[in-house]
Amino acid sequence: MKITRRELLISAGSLLAYSQLGSLANAEVNIAAQPGDQEMIASMCKALYPHDRFPMSIYMDVAAGAIKKGNADTGAKISFRAGLDGLKINKFDKMNFKKQTKYLKSIANTPFFGLVRGHTVVALYDHKEVHKIFGYQGASFDKGGYKDGEYNDLSWLPEPRIEEHPDLTAFLDDSSPKKYASLKIKKTF
Amino acid sequence: MKIDKKEKAVVVIGSGPGGAQVAYQLTKQGIPVVLLEAGRRIMKEEYVNEEWPAFSQMAWLDKRTMSGNARIVQDFNGLPTWLVKAVGGTATHWAGATPRFLDYEWKTKSTYGSVDGATLMDWPIDGKEMKPYYVKAEDAIGSTHRGGRPPLPANNNYKVFAEGAKRNGYKFYATGPYGTNAAPYDGRPASIQDGFNFQGDKNGSKWNPNVSEIPKALATGKLELRTNSQAVQITTDSSGKADGVLYMDTKTKALHRQEAKVICVAGNSIETPRLFLMSASSRFPNGLANSSDQVGRNYMRHLTGSVYATFDKPVNFFRGETMAGFLADEVKHNPKRGFVGGYYLETLALGPSFLGAFLDPGKWGKKFADMMDGYQNMAGMWIVGEDMPQANNRITLGSAKDAFGLPAPNVHFDDHPNDTAMRNHAYEKGEAIYKAVGATQTYRVTPYPHTHNLGSMRMSAKAKDGVVDKWGRCHDVKNLFVSDGSVMTTGAACNPTLTITALAIRQGEYLADQLKKGNV
Repeated sequence: MKITRRELLISAGSLLAYSQLGSLANAEVNIAAQPGDQEMIASMCKALYPHDRFPMSIYMDVAAGAIKKGNADTGAKISFRAGLDGLKINKFDKMNFKKQTKYLKSIANTPFFGLVRGHTVVALYDHKEVHKIFGYQGASFDKGGYKDGEYNDLSWLPEPRIEEHPDLTAFLDDSSPKKYASLKIKKTF
Repeated sequence: MKIDKKEKAVVVIGSGPGGAQVAYQLTKQGIPVVLLEAGRRIMKEEYVNEEWPAFSQMAWLDKRTMSGNARIVQDFNGLPTWLVKAVGGTATHWAGATPRFLDYEWKTKSTYGSVDGATLMDWPIDGKEMKPYYVKAEDAIGSTHRGGRPPLPANNNYKVFAEGAKRNGYKFYATGPYGTNAAPYDGRPASIQDGFNFQGDKNGSKWNPNVSEIPKALATGKLELRTNSQAVQITTDSSGKADGVLYMDTKTKALHRQEAKVICVAGNSIETPRLFLMSASSRFPNGLANSSDQVGRNYMRHLTGSVYATFDKPVNFFRGETMAGFLADEVKHNPKRGFVGGYYLETLALGPSFLGAFLDPGKWGKKFADMMDGYQNMAGMWIVGEDMPQANNRITLGSAKDAFGLPAPNVHFDDHPNDTAMRNHAYEKGEAIYKAVGATQTYRVTPYPHTHNLGSMRMSAKAKDGVVDKWGRCHDVKNLFVSDGSVMTTGAACNPTLTITALAIRQGEYLADQLKKGNV
C-alpha cells in the first residue's frame, strides 16, 4: 500500500534509522524469526481488525505476509524490529482487547504500525477463507454467471420497477440554461 | 496495415474511448491511422475476476504525485486516479453508466453565475448541437434503455436502492442507462450477471473499445495499432505545426519517431497535459499549445463519495451487474440546497478485498471490523456530481521522475466548498434511502481513486481562455487535436464516457471531412 511505503520513507529519514542501518545490514538479520514472533504479529493483526468469526490461522497467514514485508529492505527491517520489540516488552498478546487498542493508538504514528496495518487491511479482506466466511462468492463467469433466482434472490423487499419513469425524459429535457439561470444562488462561497 | 514511420501519418495517441473512437471514425472513412497505445492489448479471456490481481494486470501504476487539501491526497498519494494502461484505456475498467449532459450543463457560467474560487465557463457548443452525437454514442456503446434496447433486470443491490428511493418520494430510478448489454447487441452477448465490470468483463457484454472500435477499425485494414508505445514528446516544424511524435517502446525503452501530418491526443486528463508540457520547446517555452497558460489547469474529477449500509437480512450485493442502478432526482440545479449543480446516485458493489481498502482508508478497530463483518447484508451506492473547475487544480510536471527518467506528473487537488456541500447533501440523501428500508448501520465513504478524470485541456471559444476550440483543435497548433475528456470545459453531473464518445465521434467526422478537403 502506498501509505506504508510513504511512512517507511519518513522512517528512513530519521537519524535513529540511519544510525542503525549499517550494522543491521551487515549482520543480515532477519526480523521476526524467533519462535512466537509470528503469533505476536498475528495478535496485533487481530486487534486491528477484530473478527470473532475468523480462526487464528487466518491472522497467522496475514502476519506471515507482514513479516515478509518487514524483511523486504533495511528500512523496513529496522522499523519492524523496533515495533516487534515493543509488542514483546509490553506482552501485547496477553493484554485484553481494550488495552491492546490503547497500545495500538500509542504507536499509530510509527512506520511499524503503518506497515502492519496497511498490509493487514489488504491481506485480511483479500483472504479466500475470509471471503467464504463473509459469504462472498466472487467470480461466477466459469459457472455461466449468477443465475436468475440468485443475483436477484432478495425477497424481503418488493420487486422494483426497472424501466425509467415515464416523466424522466421531460424532467431531463426541461433544462434550458435561460430557465435555470433565473434560480439565483443564495450562498456564495 | 503497416505505416512507415517516415510517412506523414494521422497519429492518434491513446486507445481509450476518445482515441479509439476517433481512430475508428477516420479508418471507417478510408483514412489510414497510426494508433499509439502505451499499454498492451489484454484480450477478454485474460481478464481476472479477482480484484487485486486484475488491478495489477491493468492499472496505470507509473509514478504520480499529489498535493492539495482533498483527503485522497493523504489516503492514496501515489494513485490519484484509477486509470488503465491497456488497449481500450480506462473503459476497460469503467462500470458503464451512460447519462447525458443536461442542456444548461453546457452553459454553467451563464446558468450558475459566478461562484467564488471556481473558473466556470460556458462550452462553445450546446445541447442542441450535441444531441445527434449522443444518439450515435449511445448506439455505439449500446446503452440500455435507449434506442429501443431493453433494461437490465434488477439485482439485489438495485432492489434495496430502488425501494429506498421510492420510499423517499424519488421517481427517477431505473437499472440504466448502462453500457452493458441486456440483450445481444453489436456482436456482443447479453450480460450473464457475472459482475466484474471493473475488471474488464470476461463475457464481453460490456462495451469498451477493445471489444468494439478497435476490432472494427482493424477490420477496415486502415489501422496500425502499436501497443507498448508511450508517446513522450510532440515535435513541431519551423512553422509551428506538429510534425511528429516521439514515443518509447515501454519494453525495450527504445525511442522511436513517427512523422505526422495530424495528431490527436487522447491520453486522459493527466497524461495529455503532461505530454503537452513535456513538449515544451524554444517556440513553445511554456509547453505545447499553451499560450493561454491553461494546459493542465481546471482539472476535475467529479464530486464523488459512496454510501454503504448494512441490514438485518442478506443482500448479497456483489451478485450481478456492478452499477446497474441509477437515480436522477437530485441532478437538477437547485441553489436552495446550498450548492450549484447536481448529482446522481448509482448502485455500486465492491468485493471484500476492495471494500477493506476503500471503506475508510487508514481506519482500524472494532467499528470498522463490524462494518466489514456485515458484508453479506450490505448494500452500496456511489455519488457522482458536478465538481467546480478551479485554476489551481492542475497537472504539472513534478520534480519526481518516473521509471523512464521522465518528469512524473503532479496532480494538485483542493476540494471546493461547493464540492463539500454537495457531497454532504448526497451523503444525507443516500443514508435516507437506506434507512427507509431498514438499514441498521450506514457508512459514509470518502472519495477513492476512480476513473473520472476531466478538464486540464479545456475547450473555449477564445484562444486566451482555453487550449482547444469547439472541435478539440488546439488554438495554437492547427493540426493538433485533443480527443479525450480533458477537453471538458466543465464536467456536468453525469459519468463522462458517453460524452467523451459523443465528442470523439463528432471530432472524427469533422477531421475526416477536413482531411478530405485538404484543410488540415
